[in-house]
Amino acid sequence: MTIEPIEPVVPTARTEPDAAHLYRQMALIRRFEQVAYRAYEEGDVYGTVHVSIGQEAVSVGVIDALRATDTVLSHHRGHGHALAKGVDPNRLMAELCGRADGVSRGKGGSMHATDVAHGFLGTLAVVGASIPLAVGYALAQQLTGTGDVCVAFFGDGAANQGVLYESMNLAALWHLPVIFVCENNSYAITTAAGDSTAGEGIAARARAFGLDGVLVDGQDVLAVRETTERMAEAARAGRPGLIECSTYRFMGHSRGDPSHGVYRTKAELEEWKNRDPLEVLATAAGLSGERVAELQAEAQRAAADALAFARSSPLPDESSLMEDVRA
Amino acid sequence: MTISPPKAPPVTAVMSFAEALCAAQEDAMAVDESIVLLGQDIRAGFPFGATKDLVERFGTDRVRNTPISEAATMGCGIGLAMAGMRPVVEVDFSGFLYLGLDQLINNGAKLRYMSGGQVRVPLVVRVGQGPLGSFGAQHTQTQQALLAAVPGLSVLTPATAQDAYAAMRWALTAEDPVVIAEDMRLYKTKGEVVRGEVPDALRAAVVRPGDTATIVTYGHGVTTALAAAASLARESIEVEVLSLPALSPIDAEAIADSARRTTRVLCLTDDPPYFGAGAGLASVVRAGAYDALRAPVLELGSRPVPAPYTPSLESLVFPSDEAVAEAIKHLVGWSD
Repeated sequence: MTIEPIEPVVPTARTEPDAAHLYRQMALIRRFEQVAYRAYEEGDVYGTVHVSIGQEAVSVGVIDALRATDTVLSHHRGHGHALAKGVDPNRLMAELCGRADGVSRGKGGSMHATDVAHGFLGTLAVVGASIPLAVGYALAQQLTGTGDVCVAFFGDGAANQGVLYESMNLAALWHLPVIFVCENNSYAITTAAGDSTAGEGIAARARAFGLDGVLVDGQDVLAVRETTERMAEAARAGRPGLIECSTYRFMGHSRGDPSHGVYRTKAELEEWKNRDPLEVLATAAGLSGERVAELQAEAQRAAADALAFARSSPLPDESSLMEDVRA
Repeated sequence: MTISPPKAPPVTAVMSFAEALCAAQEDAMAVDESIVLLGQDIRAGFPFGATKDLVERFGTDRVRNTPISEAATMGCGIGLAMAGMRPVVEVDFSGFLYLGLDQLINNGAKLRYMSGGQVRVPLVVRVGQGPLGSFGAQHTQTQQALLAAVPGLSVLTPATAQDAYAAMRWALTAEDPVVIAEDMRLYKTKGEVVRGEVPDALRAAVVRPGDTATIVTYGHGVTTALAAAASLARESIEVEVLSLPALSPIDAEAIADSARRTTRVLCLTDDPPYFGAGAGLASVVRAGAYDALRAPVLELGSRPVPAPYTPSLESLVFPSDEAVAEAIKHLVGWSD
């Protein structure tokens, strides 16, 4: 059996402002991560950094289909999810730079950035481990009748963690308002998905649990959004689902590792870059070159401002070290 | 002006440790709709009766049987707690807890800190500890010290039915994750329980006063220590027994106070030597009473083996009353 990508009517941007709205968010993620990557090289960002450049259509497409009161759980490559969910880029960059004004007060960093006020429940770094939290969060929505959904993002690398399947089972069994979103960017660090994942793919695995499981072009923000809209409506009605988004990261896994040459070829990378999600949208929606340039400049300014804000924010006071271990 | 409803007077009844846990959950659920129980076979109250008949009163939404999926169940509990509910996750045997520990340690215990104080996880985990009798090495182990070493986790170690009731009521008001480490030898032991009171804090209790030495212990260790103290009293050695309701947070003040009075301390646990709860408690004693002790702090715990199946061997693993009495005599003799 092969997985059939769902083929809805070719999705289109509803209006020019709608297309610009989606483009603006993707451009912000792109520019923000470019700045963050350089800031790492310059020593402003510590530890490590995982950027999602090339995958922006997944973050924006999924989250644009949600309500503000819906929630998101994310993973180690989560800046895109945070920004799409409305997290202030200044405070997110400050978190990456370990500053007091960071969303997690400098305690979490890129891999544990959290902004509950925006329904961004956090990036968590153990691969697959945020998934059951989304199930529990969704169960609480069901029990209290809010009508909100919770989205769990994870990568193809999480597709072979047992807890994913335990979580899918609970979601299906209890008819929970949860959407699993697998960002299949083809590689778990250096390991190709085909070298780690047997069978017919992740969407097919979801269908085995009685979930709606669909495969979508993760470079096409309109397709991702339309799919998520349908999934969210179903999830609110007690029919959870999984969206597998085919995508590609244009950079290495984390800081300093090459984007090609070791485990993937330049030709393969170039082929995916021809389907840059920002260009795919601009073309599909007929955004003018002038409009694109404006939106890019706006994003570039916002990213630069974010780094300036982060640099001007103080380091956390040493007295905060022992705060928030317990209430 | 608001008129508070009249408070029901506390009710006293004799019940088992497991029944006390059940009663505490029932009493708390009756006044707090956010409490949800999750676990395998909990509707039936299997295997120890600690959730028996709760489904009849509170329904299957709140008394929720789970598949055998400890990781997802623990994660689901954490997600519920993040969303403002108060879940109680039951893991019946110690060996199965490991499957949920990534969730509990990496997420449950750390989310408040990692989020800079935004996320709260008022999760209660119930887990059996120690031997039940010939269940073999995977069902028979202790994890109190392992858990107490995790910043952000509270680890409760009730020793009686009343303690179990108090532990559960306190845990269901806590703002952070709490593990109730239930010594499986205690489930059927009976005692008088006052229902209806929610303690503000859990404090160590001198359950038998004495002036020659202190036994610092918790869980089933309290039963063993009291038996040893009774036999030592017949030889005119009066031993104090200090019962710890929790290893985390630890009541260091009560430990120091007793140690300074009796000047000799035995730390009694079910852990193997050197890196378990015995070593941890001894460090608390030294920190609070090093200048008042007449003898080095002694530790008595289990033999460093996986628990064997056959009763004649298993009975050699965990400390007996006799071994405790002997250790106290050694402690007294050393410093005479």
